[in-house]
Amino acid sequence: MQSILAVDDSPSMRKMVSFTLTGAGYHVVEAVDGQDALEKAETHNIDLVLADQNMPRLDGIGLTRKLREHPKFKTIPILILTTESSDQMKQAGRTAGATGWLVKPFDPNRLIEVIQKVIR
Amino acid sequence: MAETYQEGSGAGADFDLSQFYQIFFEEAGENLDQMEQMLLNLDLSSANDEELNGIFRCAHSIKGGSATFGFSDVAELTHQMESLLDRLRRHELQPIPQMVDVLLESADASRSLLARHQAGGQGEAVSTTSLVRRISDLAAGLVPGDAAPVVAAPPPPAPAPVAVAPAPAPKVSAPVVPGQARQLEIQIGPLDRPEQADAIKELFRDIPGLGAIRDVPGSQANTRVFAVETTSTNDDLLDLFAFHVSKEQVLIRDAAASGEAAVADADDEPVVAVDTSGGEAPYGFFNGAPGAPHGEAAAAAHAPVAQAPKAAPKASAEPKVAMQAQMESTTIRVDVKKVDQLINLVGELVITQAMLAQNSRGLDAGAYQQLLAGLADLDRNTRDLQESVMSIRMIPMSIVFSRFPRMLRDLANKLGKKVELVTLGEATELDKGLVEKITDPLTHLVRNSCDHGIEMPADRLAKGKSEHGTITLSASHQGGSIVIEVRDDGRGLSREKILSKAQERGIEVSDQMSDADVWQLIFAPGFSTADEVTDVSGRGVGMDVVKRNIAALNGSVEIDSAEGYGMKVSVRLPLTLAIMDGMSVGVGEEVYILPLSSVVESFQVNADDVSTVAQGSQLVKVRDEYMPVIALEKIFQVPRFDLNKSSNIMVVVEADGSRVALLVDELLGQHQVVVKNLESNYRKVPNVSGATILGDGTVALILDTGGLVRRARH
Repeated sequence: MQSILAVDDSPSMRKMVSFTLTGAGYHVVEAVDGQDALEKAETHNIDLVLADQNMPRLDGIGLTRKLREHPKFKTIPILILTTESSDQMKQAGRTAGATGWLVKPFDPNRLIEVIQKVIR
Repeated sequence: MAETYQEGSGAGADFDLSQFYQIFFEEAGENLDQMEQMLLNLDLSSANDEELNGIFRCAHSIKGGSATFGFSDVAELTHQMESLLDRLRRHELQPIPQMVDVLLESADASRSLLARHQAGGQGEAVSTTSLVRRISDLAAGLVPGDAAPVVAAPPPPAPAPVAVAPAPAPKVSAPVVPGQARQLEIQIGPLDRPEQADAIKELFRDIPGLGAIRDVPGSQANTRVFAVETTSTNDDLLDLFAFHVSKEQVLIRDAAASGEAAVADADDEPVVAVDTSGGEAPYGFFNGAPGAPHGEAAAAAHAPVAQAPKAAPKASAEPKVAMQAQMESTTIRVDVKKVDQLINLVGELVITQAMLAQNSRGLDAGAYQQLLAGLADLDRNTRDLQESVMSIRMIPMSIVFSRFPRMLRDLANKLGKKVELVTLGEATELDKGLVEKITDPLTHLVRNSCDHGIEMPADRLAKGKSEHGTITLSASHQGGSIVIEVRDDGRGLSREKILSKAQERGIEVSDQMSDADVWQLIFAPGFSTADEVTDVSGRGVGMDVVKRNIAALNGSVEIDSAEGYGMKVSVRLPLTLAIMDGMSVGVGEEVYILPLSSVVESFQVNADDVSTVAQGSQLVKVRDEYMPVIALEKIFQVPRFDLNKSSNIMVVVEADGSRVALLVDELLGQHQVVVKNLESNYRKVPNVSGATILGDGTVALILDTGGLVRRARH
């Protein structure tokens, strides 16, 4: 079973994402912010990271940057969840090494669709 | 696909998101509380980035959640708040008090909208139209009643094309973009007065179906830039605008085009948007990024780290917020009912344990050594378990205190007073049940202090006090009780005024009364010394209700005051309502429990020390102090064992600052008792506060010492 690290500071969003992905047959590890995600990524076998952009301590782009510094996470897909899909945001995401972005609010079906495009 | 998005429901058909609503409501409530707290603490002259980011993040989270779960009204309002906060944290605007006001009001409105959703959409939704307008005006740099824009001193650094590109327009009610709607950027200017352009905004408000307009921070003072979403043609727009500005002053550009062009210049690596059919792509992948579906070229070759990001990573967020995030991962939310059930079960266990202890008393210690050792362990473990379980229900006083800064701020504004609130001992923990019941009386006391206690700023200055009055709220543990104090440095109570008011109301008073007794008069029903009735307080309903509510919690209220210097109201409450330490006393066949916290001493009395005064009531002399004697056998009409009164035992109990001696037959012991509410299981009985089950299975009444003391007074 493939594991997805779902990172969001909002418990309801986390629950919703986790519920959706679990239903689609993935194993989900939850993290409450970027910092927590770094720790969880170390100790779990993760196949994909789905991170909210706006979080306390360490935001999604910061998390991406940190993960990419680590050889273990050089190539895993990292998707950023964001409410704004501005070009600046995309630019920053790309520079940091993110795989792609997904605009909030999103439909659970859309989430699965995007994830399936990235991990098979 | 964009088509699957629907207004008012962020979810696809086969996903039921309602199961997450409750979590979201709680989370949003916490975010609103936190935002309110931070707004109130915000020092406008030196607001730092961390504070502003923290407030922004609260609004942002609520917006994200409400949009996802389909509460579009909340999403719309919080989106506006977020936009304003975003400009503040980017230092494009200077924070001003009006902003704090409107944000606080919006937080209230969001709360009420959420409450309505939580109740299943019952009742009238509050209108947010004017709030939305006020926020967007402030975000546009307009101060109500002041035409000058309040853009922060250095206008935002404007790297040419990007600055005029439409600011990222996070569409909240979002993804519904009718096919032919166009994103435009309209520049109006140069204008003699920048506010001329407001008329343009009003057009969009007044003409239904014209579209949406939003301010975009302009780079010149006399030019206004708007982001517009409309289905009308450029010519139609120009015709409409011609009523207010000349055609030469209007420049219409296709926003999407200009924005994309700007990015294409900045970076030639194209962004691969997957879905470009309906306006903004809902998701996308970066060409060549690790893991991207189209970038099989395993582009990890160019290490992304090498391209050091230009934008400085956001400073590590506010420690408080960080702390909370950390706490969150180590706490779980549990239904209160489950905790209550646990407490009930522990209560039963305590009773069973007491029963075993009692039944084993007669056993031979040698023959039953192991059994007795086991029972001793059971005793210890039961006590530990009970303490742990009770502590689940304990919540910090900060939950109660946190509502006061806001209330006091509004109240002080209304009364034209200047008041500072100091809170102490916020970490002191109190049973959840008590917290809920103490909030209203405390609110009343704080309002009273602000309304009656604290003087107007001018009066304070005239008296040589500082202009700002101070109200101090403190909580602390003292023995088995928690003491909550409300203290102010206002005008204090006037002995003369209270005495004359009491006389007016036909209450018996004398000039020899002690101060403490005089202060107690204000607890009389309908008593108010306020010269005029305000809508805040002074209607005379209040202090008596406060006292009654607190007495119902087995608590007491004391007042201390010095005229001209302020007053202090101390509320003393038992730590928890469910289990207490009691002392059991026997009267004839009956056993009664006295709350140990109110027992002062017990002694064997000599007949000489008891004197009978008027109407047959008795007084006992204890170390030169006389106190009334209450014979429990008379109150409860139970026959005593022994009519030879020379071997009488008396227990002195204290309540409300007075003492009485209770006449009993025997002292039985001291134990923890599980308090069972008599009122909800039977009915209210005078002088009894509850009942409990003893180790042998019999029921004993718990005496209401406060009631007994009051009885002795009359």
